Amino acid sequence: MNFDYMAIWENSDILLNGLSMTLLISAITIPIGVCIGVGICLMRISNNRILRWTAISYIEVIRNVPLLILIFMVFYALPFYGIRLAGLTTGIVCLSMYGGAYFAEIFRGGIQSVPNGQFEACKALGLKYSFYMRRVIFPQLLQYVFPPGTNIALTMIKESSLLSMITVAELTYAAHDINGRTFTPVETFAAIALLYWLISTLFLNLAERLNRKLGGDQIADSITIR
Amino acid sequence: MDLQFAEIIPKLGPLLWGALYTIFVGLLACGVGVAVGTALLLMKNTRFWILRTFTSIYSSFIRGTPALVQILIFYYALAPLVGINIGPFTAGIMAIGFNSGAYVAEILRGGLSRVPPGQWEAAKALGLPKHKIWFKVILPQVFNSVIPLLVNEFTMVIKITPLLSTITLVELTRASQMLYNETFRPVEVLTLAAIMYFAICFSISQFGEYLQRRSLKFRL
Repeated sequence: MNFDYMAIWENSDILLNGLSMTLLISAITIPIGVCIGVGICLMRISNNRILRWTAISYIEVIRNVPLLILIFMVFYALPFYGIRLAGLTTGIVCLSMYGGAYFAEIFRGGIQSVPNGQFEACKALGLKYSFYMRRVIFPQLLQYVFPPGTNIALTMIKESSLLSMITVAELTYAAHDINGRTFTPVETFAAIALLYWLISTLFLNLAERLNRKLGGDQIADSITIR
Repeated sequence: MDLQFAEIIPKLGPLLWGALYTIFVGLLACGVGVAVGTALLLMKNTRFWILRTFTSIYSSFIRGTPALVQILIFYYALAPLVGINIGPFTAGIMAIGFNSGAYVAEILRGGLSRVPPGQWEAAKALGLPKHKIWFKVILPQVFNSVIPLLVNEFTMVIKITPLLSTITLVELTRASQMLYNETFRPVEVLTLAAIMYFAICFSISQFGEYLQRRSLKFRL
């Protein structure tokens, strides 16, 4: 069969719009996800039983319910309670919540790998919780959480493709759009697959460089989480 | 809005069938995934550099593109490309299986590194041919040590199956979409679907953690 590359070229503006939307969504959701992760993690390790169990149930629910169901619930079910979010807002809320649960588990794993003596020393010195968490514990855990954290961030970039189902005009939606106009499925889906591949490879390269400065494990070794 | 689960309960049949279908598709895809993963592991350990390069490009591609896009490629692009018309069922299982295969290969690689080198040397000293060393000596030990991780991989596969609703496969997500389009009660239907997914994934992942604990207990 012969390929119709012109179909991609002529519609490249749709593709580029989709690409920038995907990058925008990722640039917004990954930092929010990290913030939610820190919050949930602090709740998860606190001594307050209510906070701890809220965090545990949040993490378990998010990790055991597919993201698509979460997105559909926010998009189709919340309007019945008077909360009507646009597609993009829904996507940002859901992706951040989704990433937050995974980030929380990673931070918790990192904190557990910091020796207990560090906490005891800080308490013995009479340092405040907020102070020693920020200035003593956090710098030590950065190198542990960076490789798995990168994987979660990469997963969030990829999962943003699900937002095409609630009409957010990101890269996958752009492909459906072009395919609907020109009926060239092979070329369009190959094109977006290559674009996604390019984004993730660049992202992983950048992260690997940063990671080498921090001195953590290789990022590729923590691939089993996704 | 008031919740009216009583209205939904009599119509729960399709949802339960969807849940069973999800598990069925997940099992098949996981089977494909383990087969692909094993093949990738073997290819990674050959002396042919072409095969080794192929495996690293393959896992980079699978890891770098969304599962949704992979499913769409299998469903929409494979038929015109190679001329075989596969239905949504085959396309979905193949796509998820090939996706999972890259991750299974990574899990197996971890297991392989835990097999003591003495096993290789002993098998070679006994004069076993190459395929017997792999299939009778090494791989059984690898699989034995990674069973908990493979169980977790199964929950991952279950969590990708909702994407198959885009290619018209009537699994749990699609069944719930059809049900709430019919009853106009998305809150109740989606909540029930979420509970079903939670029940499936949570029980499997708890089982995986149990196996993990047990394997740690009996490790020498």
